[in-house]
Amino acid sequence: MTQRRLLLASLTLVPFGVPFAARAHEPRRGPNGGQKVDIGTNHAELVAAGNTLRLFLFDGADRPIPAAGATAQAVILAGGRQATVALAPAGDNVLVGTGDFAAARGMRAVVTLTLPGQRPAQARFTPMDQN
Amino acid sequence: MLIRILLLVALLAAPGVRPAFSHEGHSHGDEPAPPAAAAPRAEAHSELFEIVAVLGPDRRLWLYLDRHATSEPIDGATVQVTLDGEDLGTATRAGEAIYVLANPALERPGPRNLVFTITAGEDMDLLPATLEIPAAAGALTTAPASSELLSMALREPYLWAAGLFLLLLGVAIGRAAAPRPLPPLVVVEPPATATRPHALPSGAPMPERVAAAPAVVALLAVLLVPMIAWAQPMDAPRRQPDGSIFVPKPSQRLLGLRTGMAEPGEATIVVHLTGQVVADPNASGRVQASEAGRIEPPDGGFPALGQRVARGEVLGFVVPIMAAQDRVGVRANIAELDALIVIGEARVRRLTALTGTVSAREISDARAELEGLRQRRAANLPAVTGREPIVAPSAGLISVVRVAAGQVIQAQEPLFDIVDPARLWVEAIAFDPAAVVGASGASAVTASGQTLRLGFVGRGMTLRQQGLPLHFRIEGTAPGLAVGQPVTVLVETPRRAAGIVLPAEAVVRNPEGGQVVYEMPSAERFLPRPVRVQPLDGQRVLVTAGLERGARVVTSGAGLIAQVR
Repeated sequence: MTQRRLLLASLTLVPFGVPFAARAHEPRRGPNGGQKVDIGTNHAELVAAGNTLRLFLFDGADRPIPAAGATAQAVILAGGRQATVALAPAGDNVLVGTGDFAAARGMRAVVTLTLPGQRPAQARFTPMDQN
Repeated sequence: MLIRILLLVALLAAPGVRPAFSHEGHSHGDEPAPPAAAAPRAEAHSELFEIVAVLGPDRRLWLYLDRHATSEPIDGATVQVTLDGEDLGTATRAGEAIYVLANPALERPGPRNLVFTITAGEDMDLLPATLEIPAAAGALTTAPASSELLSMALREPYLWAAGLFLLLLGVAIGRAAAPRPLPPLVVVEPPATATRPHALPSGAPMPERVAAAPAVVALLAVLLVPMIAWAQPMDAPRRQPDGSIFVPKPSQRLLGLRTGMAEPGEATIVVHLTGQVVADPNASGRVQASEAGRIEPPDGGFPALGQRVARGEVLGFVVPIMAAQDRVGVRANIAELDALIVIGEARVRRLTALTGTVSAREISDARAELEGLRQRRAANLPAVTGREPIVAPSAGLISVVRVAAGQVIQAQEPLFDIVDPARLWVEAIAFDPAAVVGASGASAVTASGQTLRLGFVGRGMTLRQQGLPLHFRIEGTAPGLAVGQPVTVLVETPRRAAGIVLPAEAVVRNPEGGQVVYEMPSAERFLPRPVRVQPLDGQRVLVTAGLERGARVVTSGAGLIAQVR
């Protein structure tokens, strides 16, 4: 019953959904000076400084999400070297981690975020490349 | 049977489609899915790279790496793959810009997070992607696991009962319609002696062969499946119900597809004129006879087509022809002159012998008279015996030969045309003389697509057949041109228009006849975009409407995408 309704809904929604596949997924500047991108159904802002990463969590409406219970792992490519940084909750909606890297222009990071009770979600950041 | 299985799979897959999850004016995870029949795939891109990962039927991960902006395949790169944080190692090169990775971790069903670390020369990048790994290898083409089937059947009993009924009905119809051996038309009497087995009726099939047929088919299928599985996953390109076109990466590679970023720019407006190649009047010539006569070849024979001749070179001789009466008159004249010359010579001899007695004036008069007679004879003689040489008026190649030895020609008849191929002009006809005022530059395109650079020479002040003739000089070398060849002349005007400059190849006609370009919003998806197009020159067009800046547009191979059904 529910499946049939879902099927109908999916069939009717698909044509409408396509034109609105807008370019809203583009990275933008976050409130903490980092880069904010979509991660799963939420938003996350990554701030990189020195060898420290700070990941701020927001929901889809840009309201902060408590970081308690969340885990994250970042793969970082900076200066031609790859490093893996584990991030742990350190505040209201912040996860922090340090690793063997130096934040510099051209740095790329892929963060895998696991919120409690949810599937891991991935996002790609270029935190040092924004103007 | 296969169709039935596919239908079943489609029925099972349909409830899995979820509506797009939207919030806050934009939506997450609303990327349109590839066709349901395509292999599981994931894609990711950055400004540098674009990678498509396809899980083949053999459970190997095929990776296709391209430049993002141009869709140019990147060969010789290192692609290291991480699945859910677990390092799967580096993919090996399986072909040009195709990499393949085999790992047992790829058999774990469910959504899996992949991270690709790509190193291509100086460029390094990290790309995340999510790959939905299906339950089991068999699930790609056949029904899901039996426990899943059972649970689904319990949830939707009516639907499943209907399906089962239809399946059984199909089987029943199939059995009823199966060809059966006809009864033999002639009943062969069993032989009296049962010792001749070859006399059995031939119409009856051997029972053991009928029983073996399904087993053979099954065996063949078992043998063929692993063979097919070793090849790379080849999904067919197809048009999607939403109008977009799905072209998998292997097909894109075959089509040699390339893209470019739509960048707004400015371009000069170009006016199209029809024209043709003409010879430069200062570097060409026409050889005509000045009087009627018979043609005679020079020592080396007549020049052949395409032969290079120098200015002043003798191309032939014209022997004047005269009516019999004229010829008689001239001959009589010459004979009379001959007689007068003999008399004059005798007179000069006599007078010179008497030098001193006769006056010097008388002697010089006689000499002058004799000289005049000789000149009159010399002037009359060529009319009956002489021939007039025909010389080349300019250097160049012989482009037309209209003579044959011994041919009798009239005066003014053209004999040869000489053209210098390095100095050709283009004559264009402008039907709107105002449109070409202030033309700054021009080019021409031949029917075969050859582009010629043109320099403006001048324009006429008199309309010819309602059009104004314009002359252009072809700059640079243009081999293979012929005088009279039609060309399209593109005249650049001082007016400018803003838009997106694309190669002409990027614009194709859709089945309705409109002009479209194909945008490539994701790695394997193409959207036709109706555009308004203005031709710039032979190779480029200006898209003035219908395309947004930053869109990735197919620049090469668009015509092949348009043919995908």
